[in-house]
Amino acid sequence: MGAMSMTHGADRRGLALASAQLSSFDRQFTAQAQVQRPDRYRLLDALPLDTPRIARGSGVSYVAASFGSEAVSQDMGSFDRLLAFDIRTGLVCVEAGMAIGDLQRFLLPRGWYLPIAPGHPRATIGGCIAADVHGKNPARDGTFRALVEELQLHVPGHGLLSLDAHHDADLFAATCGGLGLTGTITRATLRLRRPPGAIALRRVPVANLAEAARVLREAANAQVLYGWHDGQSARFGSGVIHLGLADEEATPPALDTSPARDLPASIAPLPFTVWNARAIALANSWLRRRWCAPGMSVAPLASALFPLNDARWYFAGFGSAGLVELQWLVPHPRFEAFAAALGECVAREQPRIALVSSKLFDGHAHGLAFDGKGIALALHLPSPAAPRQRAFCEQFTQIALAHEGRPNLIKDATLDADSVRRAIADFEVRRLALARYNADGRFRSELTRRLAL
Amino acid sequence: MTAIIVGASSGLGRALAGELAQRGHPLLLIASDARDLQALAADLALRHEVEVATLAMDLAREVDPGARILAALASLPPATALLLPVGLSRRDDAFGLGAGAIGELLAINLHAPLAIVHALLPMLCERHATVVLFGSIAAVRGRGHNVVYASAKRALESAYESLRQAHAPDVLHVQLYRLGFLATNLTWGLRLPLSPAAPATVARRVVARLGKGSFKRYLPRRFALVALLLRALPWFVFRRLRG
Repeated sequence: MGAMSMTHGADRRGLALASAQLSSFDRQFTAQAQVQRPDRYRLLDALPLDTPRIARGSGVSYVAASFGSEAVSQDMGSFDRLLAFDIRTGLVCVEAGMAIGDLQRFLLPRGWYLPIAPGHPRATIGGCIAADVHGKNPARDGTFRALVEELQLHVPGHGLLSLDAHHDADLFAATCGGLGLTGTITRATLRLRRPPGAIALRRVPVANLAEAARVLREAANAQVLYGWHDGQSARFGSGVIHLGLADEEATPPALDTSPARDLPASIAPLPFTVWNARAIALANSWLRRRWCAPGMSVAPLASALFPLNDARWYFAGFGSAGLVELQWLVPHPRFEAFAAALGECVAREQPRIALVSSKLFDGHAHGLAFDGKGIALALHLPSPAAPRQRAFCEQFTQIALAHEGRPNLIKDATLDADSVRRAIADFEVRRLALARYNADGRFRSELTRRLAL
Repeated sequence: MTAIIVGASSGLGRALAGELAQRGHPLLLIASDARDLQALAADLALRHEVEVATLAMDLAREVDPGARILAALASLPPATALLLPVGLSRRDDAFGLGAGAIGELLAINLHAPLAIVHALLPMLCERHATVVLFGSIAAVRGRGHNVVYASAKRALESAYESLRQAHAPDVLHVQLYRLGFLATNLTWGLRLPLSPAAPATVARRVVARLGKGSFKRYLPRRFALVALLLRALPWFVFRRLRG
């Protein structure tokens, strides 16, 4: 922590700022940022009105969405309380800083859960709304906005506003997936679903991405649905589709769901990059043996909800050079051609790809959110600044653009303003819709600077 | 059964509320902003299924805080603990404050705890309750910073002695914790010579000692050594510690 400035006045009592070095989860951006940690509602109003700011949850988004060198990050960690829970109707109201893992831990023993959850258990409810994240089967469940019944938004100078689909509907819609540019989400009322007793996880091996797309489409109603694929050129796209169905009969193995088991928000990197070509080959070989034979296993729902809890060493292995996640959603009619072009590019460029995953989407793109109808492909690349890796990332983007892909802004640190404008046809309309609520550019982050939002 | 926490909405007060709720105590939470209190009360009631009442009042302006607390207690089980983790400090408390600011600091750090203890004392004695006061490492030796704050906290130590002197140990437990640095909004961003303790850790220790006699001690315990060193410093060295 660095120097602190503190201002006192009738309405600024208790305002404290610290200078802290913050990094995005993918380690592609680091900045010395001013951080406020309001622990009372009054302190949300303590910053001078003209101070640029952005809300920060746990800071686990891949890109720098919650900080930047030109804005104060308002860390919402103290706003992590349960406000109301109706066990009969399945509605829960929580503050925005509550981690989704903590909420699931509260809900599951009471017979409810959030069907849409990102892989990282420390992602906050506010972050899930602002990024409009998806879960384990977006084709079946939609994106996080589908769960949000009501929001409370703090807007400097206007105080706390209550929004829903009927009251201030435009602002409500813009806030879901709005990347924090409409205000600071302080609380949300969420619609829950009854959890299955366990998940029967079926493994369907696939020879390539085209086959994977067919399997995904046929299993659209599965509770859990995603693919893992080999990213090496010789076997590119081969892998397995995990297809999880509710199983009320089976007794799943016991699982430690204590908070201590949650993937940390910040993972200390190893001093070197583990994921060289040989290590990737070994890991893929192990995963193929483990997964790529037809079969079925029973898993507790909690393990299916947060698979990243087992990935601490995987992420640490990217070292200080970090990783980049490229995630694009390609429409069904273009996916096979996209997969073929991508396979050729991988064969030509021989990039190091630590992981490839696939998901099925069947929604509508709201605002700048990552949704639509098609197959989403995500690639993890170690050391993205290395020339060969960087060249591949650039070519990947061009291939995705050529096949009408839509990028996930909250994941991909290689995206620039131009690519995003080419990828999202109505980008300018969406940008202006957000700018309506951020005319003076008060809300900003490194992500919004990079994309010229 | 019931524990009263004054200054419950943040920092150590919030941590104490969480710890006590976890142990099943009904609570009366007091702080200045109803929004913070309602959120905390809802959370504790949902997680721990305990009875939680709240009372929003501004201790800097409340004429008779004790009377309002007594009224709020009417609907709760008998109170057996009064905890006063209430405090306000400011960085410009260095012989630069006006009378109004001095009055506010004294009102929150000294007047309010004294007024509340006075008003609740008959009830607390009747129930052999515990009164927990919170001092500060800043009050060990007066410096050019935290002038009013440290004065108030040292006066609180006198109040602790008075309470102990006036009440037999089997009538009232009186506990005073001299707090070192805690990781709260008060210390956020400060360059501290020692790492701050987590409020939850301190709260656990305080709650574990409720009803277990009268004493004063440092928390975290390592600050006892810091206080010893501060007191032992020769004057010509101490006066150079201006930071």
